[in-house]
Amino acid sequence: MNRWKRLLVSEHWVLYLGVACFLILFPFTPQLASIENIRNVFSNMLPMLIVAIGETIVLITGGIDLSVTSVIGLSSVIGASIMSSDQGLLAGNPAAAAAGIGGMLLAGLFVGWLNGVAVARLRMPPFIVTLTAMMFFSGLAVWLTQSRPIYGLPARFNELGQGAWLWVPNALIIAGALAVSAHVLLSRSLLGRWIYAVGTSTRTSLISGVPVNRVITLAYVASGGCAAAASILYTARLETGSPVLGQRILLDVIGATVIGGTSLFGGKGRILWTVLGVWFICLIDNSLNMLGLSHFVVMMVKGGIILFAALMDATRTRVLAG
Amino acid sequence: MSARFLRVLLLSLAVIVGCSRVGPRPALTIGVAFEILQTEYWVASFEAMKDELNRRGITMVEAIADGDANRQLEQIQSFIARKVDGIIVVPKDAKTVIPMIRAANRAGTPIVLYNRPCDRTDAHAVAVVADNYKIARATVEYMAQQAKKTGRKHKALILIGDLGDINAIGRRDGFDDALKGFADMIEVIARVPTEWNQEKALAGVTNALQANPDIDFIFTSSDFLFPSIVSALKTAGKYRKVGEVGHVVLGGFDGDATAYQMLADGYLDADGVQDVYFESSAAVQAVLDLKAGKDVPDRILDEGFVINQANLKEASARMWGARK
Repeated sequence: MNRWKRLLVSEHWVLYLGVACFLILFPFTPQLASIENIRNVFSNMLPMLIVAIGETIVLITGGIDLSVTSVIGLSSVIGASIMSSDQGLLAGNPAAAAAGIGGMLLAGLFVGWLNGVAVARLRMPPFIVTLTAMMFFSGLAVWLTQSRPIYGLPARFNELGQGAWLWVPNALIIAGALAVSAHVLLSRSLLGRWIYAVGTSTRTSLISGVPVNRVITLAYVASGGCAAAASILYTARLETGSPVLGQRILLDVIGATVIGGTSLFGGKGRILWTVLGVWFICLIDNSLNMLGLSHFVVMMVKGGIILFAALMDATRTRVLAG
Repeated sequence: MSARFLRVLLLSLAVIVGCSRVGPRPALTIGVAFEILQTEYWVASFEAMKDELNRRGITMVEAIADGDANRQLEQIQSFIARKVDGIIVVPKDAKTVIPMIRAANRAGTPIVLYNRPCDRTDAHAVAVVADNYKIARATVEYMAQQAKKTGRKHKALILIGDLGDINAIGRRDGFDDALKGFADMIEVIARVPTEWNQEKALAGVTNALQANPDIDFIFTSSDFLFPSIVSALKTAGKYRKVGEVGHVVLGGFDGDATAYQMLADGYLDADGVQDVYFESSAAVQAVLDLKAGKDVPDRILDEGFVINQANLKEASARMWGARK
């Protein structure tokens, strides 16, 4: 295999692609490489990375979770309705922030469990199940708040999205802990091996004694939980509970996960790949913004780059197949 | 190969990061962040801002958040990292913009809010806003005077915007206060909450006209909802010109091209006009003054004006929707 082919099939090809984009765009906007901007790119990618980690687990099982954005909105308004000092159920209570976070996570886990049960037990197609869940729970979030954002969140809660612990941003600690846990789960645990096995062949897994239904349900629960965790960061960053929070990031999340190398057909994917995919998407977004291109050009260029990355992915798969 | 390649890449990046700290910046650069470009008003404002900055020889970098407040926060952070000389932002709402203002304040970057003010906060920004209350009140008072001339009682409907938007509240209050003086002639029997959504407006007006076919006075808090109103009125057979029997007294707010066309065609009685050109120019001037360290009031008001069938010819020159 020659050098270019080796580069193409490398696990880190998205990293190379990202660095290449960076080097090409750098002469046009040198501030791209400023420490402050690099910090921005990493800070912007953290909440999306958390959503993408859950999506990766579901994609490896051969499913897809389109409801993640509705979980972000629903968790945001549930958490805010509990802890807001203006209209929260526990307004003024010192435990309001903790209860709000608990409520947000429970909402995400519950939606994930519903998705998992519908896909695993009722044998419904994941696309339809999670699309319907997205519509229902987005609508529920808007209905609960009558489309009004909820303000007055506790400062301790907002710190999660904006503050730092010993100079390490809290968001980085949360996203890092989740990424490492997911990596260990997928690569070092029996459940991880079952997740890959279910994605590779459900039938073979069933015959081999893998508890397929439980594995699929857990994958969706994990995805719902991750979306809720991301919602905590998004909500804290804006200091606002909003029913439309994160509604427009679904394609970025799925795009980043697939560009990273996780297969839409199941059985293949890694957390590190997803980290690189999310970094790549955020880098492109940031670079195009820094270039000061018009909004419409940004959308076209971004679409083109994602398409190019997908074409490269298909080429890699062909090369690897021999 | 892979490890060596990675080492070379990392070394190149380190050099680039080092180099990025130097370099002259010839002209002023202003970051302009719009929440969305959904309606004619925002598109006209965006173009007016671009023209104003061009005219002054200032480079503009733009960002549109597509209605996503988180994305807007990231865009503002990008502007700050790019070390722009000032930021003009159309925020999604009065609260989510506060972390953005704080970020700009921390970086020492002047920030001006265009057309939507922020809520009370310790963070500092200048807001250029239309006097929504006053313009809406003057528009509705003109409409009420036209209704009074007919000598009969009227039943009114208002389309209300998103009540999370302080502009929508100002316009609603202007409508209510204007009609207090005409309580014997005009009764408000329907309030349609639209959340700035055309489909909701269409459904709301259609339902209201079915429930109350005698509605003959309609005010919309934004001109971009006129297509929904016209559609519902046509379905109900009530879309008539000013002066014709069965005419529904119509008024709006913004000054867009649809409203101008309806005025010119004789269907619309009055429209409250926000002066896009004044607001854009004032926003640019404010950001430059802040950059120069001058004192700028926290709120700069656009007084706007009312265009109606009587002053159409002279006032249309100032109406942004009348310009081709």
